[in-house]
Amino acid sequence: MIMSIKRFISAMLFITVLVMGVNASVLDSLSYDVRLGYALGGTIPTHIGKEIRGINSYYPGFNFTVAAEASYPLDQRWSLHSGLRFELGSMDADSRVKNYDIEVVRGDESLKGIFNGNVRIKSAQRRITLPIQAEYRISDKWTARCGVFMGWLTNRRFWGWAYDGYLREGTPVGPKVEMGTEPGDRGDFDFDANMRHMQWGIDGGIDWRFSRRWGAFAEVTYGFSNIFKSDFHSVQPLRPLYGTLGIIYRIK
Amino acid sequence: MQKYWLQIAAATDKMTNFANLKQSFYMCGFSNKMRFPVIFAGCLVMMMLCASCFGDEPDGCEADIETVTLHVTSPDDFFFQATDSMQVVFSTDSVITFAVRGSADVSALSPVLTLSTGATVSPASGSTHDFSQGPVVYTVTSQDGKWQRHYRVHVVPTLVTVTDTLSFDFEHYELETSTQRYYMWYNTLPDGSLGNDWATANGGFRLSMSTAAPMDYPTTPLAQGYEGAAVCLTTRDTGPFGRMANKRLAAGNMFLGTFDLRIAMSDHLHATRFGIPFTDRPDRFTGYYTFEPGPTVQDFYGNPIAGRTDSASVYAVFYRNHDAAGNEVVLYGDNVLSSSQLVAVANLGYVAPTATWTAWDVKFEYREAVDEQLLANRGYSLAIVFSSSASGGDFVGAIGSRLCVDKVRLICKHEE
Repeated sequence: MIMSIKRFISAMLFITVLVMGVNASVLDSLSYDVRLGYALGGTIPTHIGKEIRGINSYYPGFNFTVAAEASYPLDQRWSLHSGLRFELGSMDADSRVKNYDIEVVRGDESLKGIFNGNVRIKSAQRRITLPIQAEYRISDKWTARCGVFMGWLTNRRFWGWAYDGYLREGTPVGPKVEMGTEPGDRGDFDFDANMRHMQWGIDGGIDWRFSRRWGAFAEVTYGFSNIFKSDFHSVQPLRPLYGTLGIIYRIK
Repeated sequence: MQKYWLQIAAATDKMTNFANLKQSFYMCGFSNKMRFPVIFAGCLVMMMLCASCFGDEPDGCEADIETVTLHVTSPDDFFFQATDSMQVVFSTDSVITFAVRGSADVSALSPVLTLSTGATVSPASGSTHDFSQGPVVYTVTSQDGKWQRHYRVHVVPTLVTVTDTLSFDFEHYELETSTQRYYMWYNTLPDGSLGNDWATANGGFRLSMSTAAPMDYPTTPLAQGYEGAAVCLTTRDTGPFGRMANKRLAAGNMFLGTFDLRIAMSDHLHATRFGIPFTDRPDRFTGYYTFEPGPTVQDFYGNPIAGRTDSASVYAVFYRNHDAAGNEVVLYGDNVLSSSQLVAVANLGYVAPTATWTAWDVKFEYREAVDEQLLANRGYSLAIVFSSSASGGDFVGAIGSRLCVDKVRLICKHEE
C-alpha cells in the first residue's frame, strides 16, 4: 500500500516535470492559484440501467476540495492547466430497483441473486487528483477548461443495504427471500476492500475571475474507471460523477 | 472525441521542449480555436446525459404461480373447509396439492392461477382439465421469456382414514434437489407412499452459510440411530452474516408443518408454520432421544451466560386450524404453546441431558372436547416440534447443543 502510494507520487512528479519543468523559463510564465470547492455528486452506474427505477433520496456528504493549480500560457488564448487536488467525497443514495443483480459477501460466505426493492448506498473516500487540462480564455474574466485526471484513493468506504423488497436467491426462479427494513432483517453489504485505488477520467470547468485575486469556478468530473476492481461483480460497475463549486485565489 | 485525449497523451510522451508542445497541441486538432468550447460543451452534455435518464422498465424475469383457486358449484360438498379453495404457493414449491372430499368429482376442474407480473402460463389459467388421471403440469414463462418453471397441480380426493399409531422413523432423507446443500426428510404415509410433512429450517441456514457442508447444517441425519437412521438437531453458529444480523445461532429444528423461506430473514418466528391437518385424536406421544447441551449458553449478543445449561424442546400440539370467523389459523414459533386455538398439548418439558438413547412417553392433555364433525372436516392440525435449543427462536442457546430423536410414535385414541 505504502509502496503503491510512493509509486503513484513518483509518477505524478514525473509527469509534472515532463509537462512543466522542461524549460526553466516555463516557471516564469506560470500563474498559480489555490482553490477551495464543495462538490455535489457521487458514483453512478456506468449507464443508469433499466434496473434502477427511481431515486428515493440523495444526500451529498461533506465534500470539500482543496487544490493548488497552475497554468502555463501557450498563446493568447490557450494555456495548459494542472495541479494537485485533495478531495473528500461522500454520498448517501437511496434508490428503487427492479431485477437488480446483487451479491452480499461477508467473509467466505455470500448470498447472491436478483433483488427487487430498495437499495441504500453510502460511500466515502479521500482522493488525491492530478488533472491535466487545456484552458481556453474566453474573455478577461472567463476561462473554460477541459481535460483528463488521474486520482488515487487514500481512504475508501462503500457500504449499504438492500431493504424493503425481496431477493430471488441465485436466479430469478430461485427461492424468494424477503428483506425487511431494520438491521438484521435486511441485506447489509460492505465493499470497502473491493474498491480500486486508482481512478481516471475527464473533467471540465469554467473559471470566473471577478477581481485581480479572487474568482469562482464550477467543475464537472466524470470517472471512466469503475470504482470497483475488475474481478468484483457484486453490484454493477459504478463511476464517479460530481460537480464542484468553489472559489479561487490567485497567487501569481 | 476520446481520440483527442489519446493524441494529447501521445504528444506529451514525445515532446522534448515547449515549442514542440505547442506544435503538437495544435497539430492534434486544436488549431481551430472555436473547437474548444464545442468540445467542452460536448463533455458537459455527455455527463448530464449519463446521469439523467432512466431506461424503460425492464421486463419481469420471474415465473411463479403465486396462487391457485378452484371454483366449484357446491364448495361445501367439494372442500373440507371453505378456505381450501385457494392456495398461496411458496416460491420453493413446485408441487401444489388440493386435498378434497373423497366424494368430490375431479374430472373437470378449471384452476384459476395468478402469476408473477407479466408471466404467461400453458395450459392457460381457467382451462378445464381432468384431475382424476393424476396431476396437470403447468409451465410458466417469465415476461422476458428467459425463465421457465414447471408446476404439478394435484387435486386428490382424500378419504379420512382412521389410524391407531403414526410412526416416524426418519429413514427416508435425501439432499434437497435444487441446491444439493442440505438434507430433507420424507415420512411414510399410511398407504405406504412418502409424504413431505417434516420441515426444517435448513433452507434458512443456507442463506447465511452458503459454504457449509450438508452435515454441518442444523438438521442432519444420523445413520446409526436407536433403530436404523435417526435425525440429529444441532445448534450451529451462523457465521459472519449471523453476527452482522444479530442472529448468531441457529437451533436445529424439525417439525410437522412447512418452513416459509420467504420470511426466514425478515420475520423468522413466522417462517416456522407448525402443523398439518390431522383427523384422529392424539393420545400419547412417544419416542427415543439423546441430548447433549453445548458447553456455553450465549445471549442474543453472543455473550456467554455463566452457570446456565442449554435446554431442548420436545413437544406435540393439537389445535383448531380455523378461528371462530372461519379464517385459517397456523401456529408459529411465537404462539405454538400459548395460542387459544390449542386443544391438546403433549410436552416433554425438561429434556434431561443423556448420551444414551432414552425413551419418552407423554400423554396429551386436552383443554377442550374434540368436535367430531370438525375432526372429519380436517379442522384440526397436529404439530410435532423438536429443537436443540428451546430459546433458539430468540437466538439464545449453546452452540453445539445436540438433540437426536428416533422412533417417534403418535398413538391415537378412538371413541369406544
